Amino acid sequence: MSIFIDRSNKVLVQGATGKEGSYWTKHMQDMGTNVVFGVTPGKEGQRVEGIPIYHTIRRGLQDHDADTAMLFVPPAFTKDAIFEALDAGIRKIVTIADGIPLHELLQIRSAARSCGAMVVGGNTSGVISPGKAMMGVLPYWIERVYKPGRIGVMTRSGSLTNEVTAEVVKAGYGVSTLMGVGGDSVPLTRFAEILPLYQADPETDAVVIIGELGGTMEEEVAEAMESGAFTKPLVAFIGGRTAPRGKRMGHAGAIVTGSKGTVEAKVDALTIAGGLVARKPSMVGPMLHELMT
Amino acid sequence: MKLFEYQAKEAFRQCGIPVPQSVLACSPGEVSGAIGDFSMPCVIKAQVLQGGRGKAGLVRVVRNEKDALEYARTLFEERGVRRILLEDAVDFAGELYLAVTVDPARAKATILACAEGGVDIEELAATAPEKIVTQHVDLDRGLSGHHMRNIAFGLGLNGEKAKAFNKVLSALYQAFRKFDAELIEINPLFLTGEDTFVAGDGKLVIDDNSMSRQPGYEITRDHYDHDVEYEAALAGIPYLQFDGDISLMCAGAGLTTTVFDLINYAGGSVANYLEFGGPNYTRAVDAMELCLRNEKAKVILIVTFGTVARADVIARGLADAVARFRPSIPIVTCIRGTNEEEAFQIIRDLGLTPLSETEEAVQRAVDIAAGRVS
Repeated sequence: MSIFIDRSNKVLVQGATGKEGSYWTKHMQDMGTNVVFGVTPGKEGQRVEGIPIYHTIRRGLQDHDADTAMLFVPPAFTKDAIFEALDAGIRKIVTIADGIPLHELLQIRSAARSCGAMVVGGNTSGVISPGKAMMGVLPYWIERVYKPGRIGVMTRSGSLTNEVTAEVVKAGYGVSTLMGVGGDSVPLTRFAEILPLYQADPETDAVVIIGELGGTMEEEVAEAMESGAFTKPLVAFIGGRTAPRGKRMGHAGAIVTGSKGTVEAKVDALTIAGGLVARKPSMVGPMLHELMT
Repeated sequence: MKLFEYQAKEAFRQCGIPVPQSVLACSPGEVSGAIGDFSMPCVIKAQVLQGGRGKAGLVRVVRNEKDALEYARTLFEERGVRRILLEDAVDFAGELYLAVTVDPARAKATILACAEGGVDIEELAATAPEKIVTQHVDLDRGLSGHHMRNIAFGLGLNGEKAKAFNKVLSALYQAFRKFDAELIEINPLFLTGEDTFVAGDGKLVIDDNSMSRQPGYEITRDHYDHDVEYEAALAGIPYLQFDGDISLMCAGAGLTTTVFDLINYAGGSVANYLEFGGPNYTRAVDAMELCLRNEKAKVILIVTFGTVARADVIARGLADAVARFRPSIPIVTCIRGTNEEEAFQIIRDLGLTPLSETEEAVQRAVDIAAGRVS
C-alpha cells in the first residue's frame, strides 16, 4: 500500500487532449496508473493514448467508474474543473496549474475541506508512488530520484525535489510516496494534512520534507510531531535560510513578511519537535541514516 | 503587485470608501497649477512603494503655497520621486487600523482591526495582540452582519460611529474581492469630529495570478530596486539583484533559492538571482543576456535539475547564448535531469566541464570569484 495513489485508483484526466495533458497521460499510464477516461468539453468521441474522451465528468461516469481526478487545465479554468470533480463525488484531485488566482485558491480549499476531499496543488509536479502509479508531470525515469523504497517525501518545490530526493536515494533509500504540495501561497493541501497518511502507512518508515521560506506549513508539521499525531522519524531540508527579508524568492509562497515565515522559526520548531533539519541537501541522506539506525 | 497610494485610493473611491480630496502631480509645474485649489494646511505625499514614508521624510504637512512648491521640488529633484499626491489635510478626532488579507490555512479572508491607527500592525501583533480584533470570513458566504458587529463592538464603537464604520468595512471587503487583493489596508483610518470616517492612507496589493483580470495596472520602474530587475520583469524572468559577484542562472524557484544559500555558506556572494525554469527553460539566451548586464559578476553559475525543463534543451540554449554573447567571464554548469547525457556532450563541445553535483559546482564558482582558480 502507498498513500494517496496506487494502482487501485481509477483516475480520470481533465484536459487530457492538450499537448501537455496527452503527453503526461501517456507517461502516467506507462508507469502503471489506471487512467479510465479523459474529459475535454467539445472533444467527446476522441481517444488519447487509447482512453476515451468525454465532454463532461458526468458523461464519463455513465460509462466508467472513477474515484480520482488529474487536472491538466489552465489556471483560469481550474476552479470550475475542480468543482466539477467535487460535484461528481471525486475526493482525490491533483492540479498542476501554475497561476490559480488567490481568491479562487481559497474558495477551492474551502469547498474541498467542507466535503472531506483532498486537492493537491497547484503549482506542483504532482504525486508519485514509484513503481506503482503517478499523477502529474514527474520524470519517474530518472532512476537516481524516483527509486521505490520506504521514505515518504513531501515537497513545496519541483526543482528542489530532484535535488534532495537524489540524496535520499544516494544514501541507500527509496521513496514510498512523494507528494508535491506546490509553491503557491495557498497550497490546497498542507503538509500537516498529509502527515496522518504517512503515519498510517506501513510502507513508510520515515518522512523527508522539502520546505522553504514563507508561510507556516513547516511549523504545523512541528505541531503534529509535538502533539504525538506524527511519530515517525522526520528530516527536513528548508531552502532560503540566507534569503533577504521582503524579497519574493521565486515561488508566490516564498516570502518572509514581518515576522512570519522565517527559516529560523521553522528550523527551531522542527528541531524542538524532534526532527533533524539539514542545512544542505547533501546532509539529508546521512541524517536519515542517523535517525533510522 | 503593490499599488501606489493614489491607485489604492482611486480603488477605495470606486468602492465607496471616503478619501480626502487629492490631485496627482508629476512635476513642479503641475504642483503649482493645482496647489491653488487646496486650502492650507495640506499634505504632500511622495508616491513611492516603500513603507515608513513619514520617517523617511517623504510625507509632509505644508502651511502655504511657497512651502508646498519648495517641498515638491525637493522630492522631485533631490529624492528622485516621480509622482506626488497633494491632499486635503483631515481634521481628525481619532485613528483606527483596518485591513483585509488572507489566511491560507483556514482558507478564509481575514479582517484585522485595531482601535489605534497609525500603528505598525506586525509590531503590535507581537507586543499587544489583544488589541487586534480578528474576524475570518468565508469567501463564498461573504461578509455578514455578525462579522461587522464582532468587529465594531470589539473596537468599542457603537451608535452612529458603528454605523459609519460598518459602511467603510463593508466597502473595504467589497474592494478586497473586486480587486483580487492579497492585502488591502487603511492605516490610519481617521475618525472625524462628526463621527465620519476618512481613509488617511491606502495600501492595496493585488494577487499576481489575478493581474490578467485586473486591467489598467502596469509595473513601473518604481516597483524595482534596479534597472535590470525591471527589464527582467518586463521579459517575464524572475530576477533579483544583489551586491556580490556570482551570477546565478538557475532553473526552478526552490533550487535557485537553495543555490543562493549554498553560495553564502561557502563564503561566496551572489550578484543576482535569476530563475529561468518553468515555461522559461527554453530562454537561456534571454537569461544570459540579463546575467551579463550585471557588471559585478565574475562568474556565471548554472544549476538545473529539470523535470519538464529538459537538460538537453537547456544545454542547447546555453550553446546559443555563448555563441551570441561570447561571455568574457567563466561559466560553471551543473545541468541535470531528462536527457542529461546529451546535455553533458553539448557542454563538453563548448569546452566546458559538465559538473553533476550542486555543491561541487557552487564551490567551483566561489573559488573562481575569489580568484583561487580560473
